[in-house]
Amino acid sequence: MDDATPAPSGGQAGDPGLIDLAAPPSTASYLKEVWRRREFAVVVPAQDLRAQNMDTALGQLWHLVNPALLVGVYFFIFGVVLDTRRGVDNFLGFLIVGIVLFHLFQRVLQDASVCIVRNLGLIRSIQFPRLLLPVAAVNGQTFAFIPALCVALLSLLVTGERPSLRWLLLPVVLAALYVFNLGAALVVAQIGSSVRDLQRLLPHLLRLLFYASGVIFSVDAFISSEFWRTAFAVNPVYDLITCARWCLIGTEVDAAVVIGLTVWCMALPVIGVFNFRRVEGRLGS
Amino acid sequence: MTALRPDVTVQLQDVAVNYRVYEDSAGGLKEHFSRGRVRRRYQTVRALRGVTLEVHESETLGVIGANGSGKSTLLSAMTGLLPLKSGTVRGRSRPALLGVSSALRSALSGRRNVLIGGLALGFTRDEIESRMDEIIEFAGLSDAVDRPMRTYSSGMRARLHFAIATARIPEILLIDEALAVGDAEFRARSSQRIDEICAEAGSVVVVSHNMTEIEHLCDRVAWLDDGEVKAVGEPGSVVASYLEACSRTGHHS
Repeated sequence: MDDATPAPSGGQAGDPGLIDLAAPPSTASYLKEVWRRREFAVVVPAQDLRAQNMDTALGQLWHLVNPALLVGVYFFIFGVVLDTRRGVDNFLGFLIVGIVLFHLFQRVLQDASVCIVRNLGLIRSIQFPRLLLPVAAVNGQTFAFIPALCVALLSLLVTGERPSLRWLLLPVVLAALYVFNLGAALVVAQIGSSVRDLQRLLPHLLRLLFYASGVIFSVDAFISSEFWRTAFAVNPVYDLITCARWCLIGTEVDAAVVIGLTVWCMALPVIGVFNFRRVEGRLGS
Repeated sequence: MTALRPDVTVQLQDVAVNYRVYEDSAGGLKEHFSRGRVRRRYQTVRALRGVTLEVHESETLGVIGANGSGKSTLLSAMTGLLPLKSGTVRGRSRPALLGVSSALRSALSGRRNVLIGGLALGFTRDEIESRMDEIIEFAGLSDAVDRPMRTYSSGMRARLHFAIATARIPEILLIDEALAVGDAEFRARSSQRIDEICAEAGSVVVVSHNMTEIEHLCDRVAWLDDGEVKAVGEPGSVVASYLEACSRTGHHS
């Protein structure tokens, strides 16, 4: 990408050293600037997270209580009231992994869809790589996810799951999760900035995705056709949840799922960055 | 075309900026679709119409004009961040607008806001930590610094904004009405700081309605009228003819 380097404007008489301020910087120098300012995308969402619960009685404890309640409700309904198995050995554990991961994904997309609109004042007054805004959205939800993950792991122990060697691969799954979230957030932030209607549409799309990702049922147990089971691997959220389940509760995973996830994690951030850069100049208007 | 001087730091050539303002029309769904496309109606506001202007090294340029004449738009255009309809904006480096209020969080304490505002301005965390006391002292917050910002008076808030915003002085600085903040004591201190900044920064562009301030600070003044430069030149004469025009039409803002 050498087209974007602000070129000294040739042709015009006698103004060496003046750069075209409206020309966007090259992708390399852009990403370098994002990296230089990375602390912004870490500190600001962390502080926002703090501010969220400041007026409540439990205060910062809510970051732990909230995921505990999320898991607790499912525990109660599916463990106590319904007592279902649905073709899975540890159905409660199966459910917890799915719910906690999907919840993170949902919050990331919701935050990303409004991160530009919510920060228009900042965009209009300060020069900084706008890419930091969706990154900050992902970081904020990732911080909120850490206590949720602890609650989930603890609940897995309660359901009778014991740590296996596969648990050592959890960081790999989490890294894939983070990278995928980044890519998805970039794409959604860009769409959300120009199509405000996305905010209204998103809850419904997410509900659809919820059922298409096998969060509360086992796709393997419901669908016998080999073809359709493989087709599910196209859904990255299904891939992520399935890999996390393989890692934590020892369910099976198809090669198609691993391949699908790898492709998504490599392609989506790249698509996201280029797509975001393409419209960045228009974001303030 | 104007002759180019070698000490130009910012150069605008025939810059035009249009804004779209969406109409809040009473047209119902039927009308909406009968036009054949799902798109809201908007009006185009020509905020700048062909502005050619230069800022020189170690110069403070004042921008005056009635409300809605395009002063703030001109500053935004100088940062290069505003999509232009036509024209070019060039500069030695990227001019920066003085101000961080949009980055700050009213639920958080003054100290945390210094950190957030500083990061938004491009400082590293270490740089802010090392200047924290200096910034807080300049803002005159003393023991309020660990209280949430929403408990501050508007004067305290303005002082904090000013203190954070002026922590870094860019080579080319744009100031939009930031000068008259706080009480008389802080105003004296902040105007002294503005003088320092004007001396330290390479070039400064100030937008203000305060003509005394403009005449005190600026080496040259540009008068904007309805998106066009009506006059540029020596402060005394431009301000005088602006004021005269205002008294003729009967609305000085």
